[in-house]
Amino acid sequence: MTTVRSRARKLALPAAVIGGLALLTGCADHAPQNTWAPAGENARDIDNLQRTPFAIAGVVLVIVIAVVGYCIFKFRDKGQAMPKQSHGKPALEIALTIVPALILVGIGIPTIGTVMKLAKTSDTQCVINVTGQQWWWEYDYPVQSGCMPGGIKEPIVTSGEMIIPAGQHVLLRISSRDVIHSFWIPRLNGKRDAVPGRVQTLRMQADQPGIYDGQCTEFCGLSHAYMRMEAVSLDSAGFATWVGNQLAAYTAPAAGSAAATGETTFISQCSRCHQVNGVVDSSGNPIIARPDLNVYSGAAPNLSHLMSRTTFAGASFDLLTPDCRKNLRDASAADFSALYLKGVTPECLDTVQLKQWLRNAPAKKPMYADPTKLGPTDNKTRGMPNLHLTEDQISQIVAYLTVRH
Amino acid sequence: MFTTGSKLFLGGSVLAFAGTLIYSGIHGGPLGTIGLVTATIVFAFLTGINFWVRDSNVSSMDTAGIESSPAAHAAPGRSMWPMIGGLGLALIPVGLVVGRAITWLAVIVMIIATVEWMVQGWSEGASSDPVYNAGVRKRILHPLELPILGAVGLGLIIFSFSRIMLRLPKAGGPVVFGGIGAAVLLFGALFATKRNIARSLVVTLCTVGAVGIVGAGVASAVAGPRHVTKHEIAEKTLTVDNCTADHTEADDHSSRAIAGKSNLAATIVLENGKLHADVIGVNGAQQTITIPRSNDSYIRFQNKDSGKVRLVANLGYDLINPGASNEVKVPDVVCTQAVTKGGAQFLIVNPPRPSSATKFGAPYSFTIPGLDSAGSIAIEVP
Repeated sequence: MTTVRSRARKLALPAAVIGGLALLTGCADHAPQNTWAPAGENARDIDNLQRTPFAIAGVVLVIVIAVVGYCIFKFRDKGQAMPKQSHGKPALEIALTIVPALILVGIGIPTIGTVMKLAKTSDTQCVINVTGQQWWWEYDYPVQSGCMPGGIKEPIVTSGEMIIPAGQHVLLRISSRDVIHSFWIPRLNGKRDAVPGRVQTLRMQADQPGIYDGQCTEFCGLSHAYMRMEAVSLDSAGFATWVGNQLAAYTAPAAGSAAATGETTFISQCSRCHQVNGVVDSSGNPIIARPDLNVYSGAAPNLSHLMSRTTFAGASFDLLTPDCRKNLRDASAADFSALYLKGVTPECLDTVQLKQWLRNAPAKKPMYADPTKLGPTDNKTRGMPNLHLTEDQISQIVAYLTVRH
Repeated sequence: MFTTGSKLFLGGSVLAFAGTLIYSGIHGGPLGTIGLVTATIVFAFLTGINFWVRDSNVSSMDTAGIESSPAAHAAPGRSMWPMIGGLGLALIPVGLVVGRAITWLAVIVMIIATVEWMVQGWSEGASSDPVYNAGVRKRILHPLELPILGAVGLGLIIFSFSRIMLRLPKAGGPVVFGGIGAAVLLFGALFATKRNIARSLVVTLCTVGAVGIVGAGVASAVAGPRHVTKHEIAEKTLTVDNCTADHTEADDHSSRAIAGKSNLAATIVLENGKLHADVIGVNGAQQTITIPRSNDSYIRFQNKDSGKVRLVANLGYDLINPGASNEVKVPDVVCTQAVTKGGAQFLIVNPPRPSSATKFGAPYSFTIPGLDSAGSIAIEVP
């Protein structure tokens, strides 16, 4: 008995510390992927659904622990005689079957209703195609009459940050180019697998302008942890401005500028995989990237408007300085859209990570890009390889990319 | 003369020696041969030891007593195993000439015969009671014999069924096997109602049925399967040469091809002479669809009109040796098989270039060859 008690005393402190730490995690003030803080009607439906069962389960847990604890204490071994044994109590057994069944029915009815509501597509106001690949997300906006007054007349493609109009019922059409991924913005809705060859739908709606973080939730290879995403909600005017900016014609850098030199370097080093819409060769023919010939997934991020987004490489790395990032995160709903649409301004641009990326991308984000180990993928890389650029070339490309707003 | 233990080891010696001969004859590897020779020597040594010490049985040292006891005079039972073993042995040289399968069959037959013969021989010396000895043999061998014989018998029946089905005409199969099923049901019902039916009758009927099926199976296997016509069908999608208004043999069997119905990029419908697209999440009929670049997009084509038409995806041109003097433009075209009224077909579209690449050529589109009045569905690729 003494041994048991002393062992229990020894375990009590570590158990209390671990339990306390677990409880303290609930006090985090920066929890951008908190499922208990819904920011749109779909996530709110899920939240409403989960709270009741959690409450019921909590009550059941307390009752069970109390009864078990009472029995352990009350009927502990005190050297007494073995009590009379009995078997079966039909009334109690029937009650213990019916009560959980009723609880399950009570949970099941609103669950089915919520599932059907979350699968609804008839009230869609805006459609976005979402395509996952190792290890970033591509978002393309189909030609459609929705999303904004007048609709979207030409397709738009972007990556890392998915721009959605606040308050609208957005429908994501999710697929994958290589392996199975899973798309999840916890504050806006549940998750949906991205499966090659299949288009799966997911409703998305954000009440207010702001940034909503997410993370690929299906293990998809080496850099799965770096496959992040951000849903950026803009007010309706801001969204229209963003669309107009994405469809703006390409403006070549001024002749003789650093960006113009960077354009040449970009074309020679990067345009095999990365598309910049509107860029032409010396004959005036459009330069069309062929990532399908070089990358296993067949795609690489479109960089036409890189500086209109604030992250790169699968939303893993920041283009903003920490102060500017904080200002953007802390902006009120009323101010957010205008601040975001400023893009990466010269005073907010943080080139450190971008240069590190260009210097040796696989060193910054693990990828299958070693040219000596590409046999299984037909000599195609998974992710961006080390291009062995010189420091001059890196500076030139950065100069070019920083004018791609 | 030989004690029980020495008989067992003698059998082991013979088996190992036979294995040595067979292995060295078929395979000839030094490692295996050495192993089997070693086993032969060890078994022979153990045979000698057991024979010398009379199985360590003091009473058995009294050979006179053993020879005069009733057990010593019990007549050994008749055994078919030496004959079967001899058959297996004879088959080995045949197999070496004819083929490896017969050799392996002969080896298996020899092993079975040797084991059965050894155990039978051993069990007959277990006591002076032949009934008890037979029980000993059953206890040892039935756990092996019954599952193996059951599996072999079942395999034989299944194989025979398959040969018969392959031999019968296409329409005859259901009739014949329906009849057999009905007969089994009938006899089963009769046996169930007539409880006192003679067991021999049941055994006879079952034997006749099994022999009949196996016999018919062997005959069918010898005669060979019926002629099966192979139709030409499209593989995944058809390409430029076949994407015309003309029909091929493959189009006559389009119903055999896959027709996915869910989670598609779009369904394109020909209805009332016009094409339109239904896209998940996009309300209403569409004349333009946007599909991702360099990704398989699964399109379903549904023909609600009369006539037999195919859907063609025109995805611009693929450049072979771009920029070089021998640059060649190859149309990037895929299409479905021709679809009759009410039918549907599947098309996988994977445009490697964005729509911006079409600004100097024809835009991407879905069309129906030979039916210009149906219009087209524009394809946008970001």
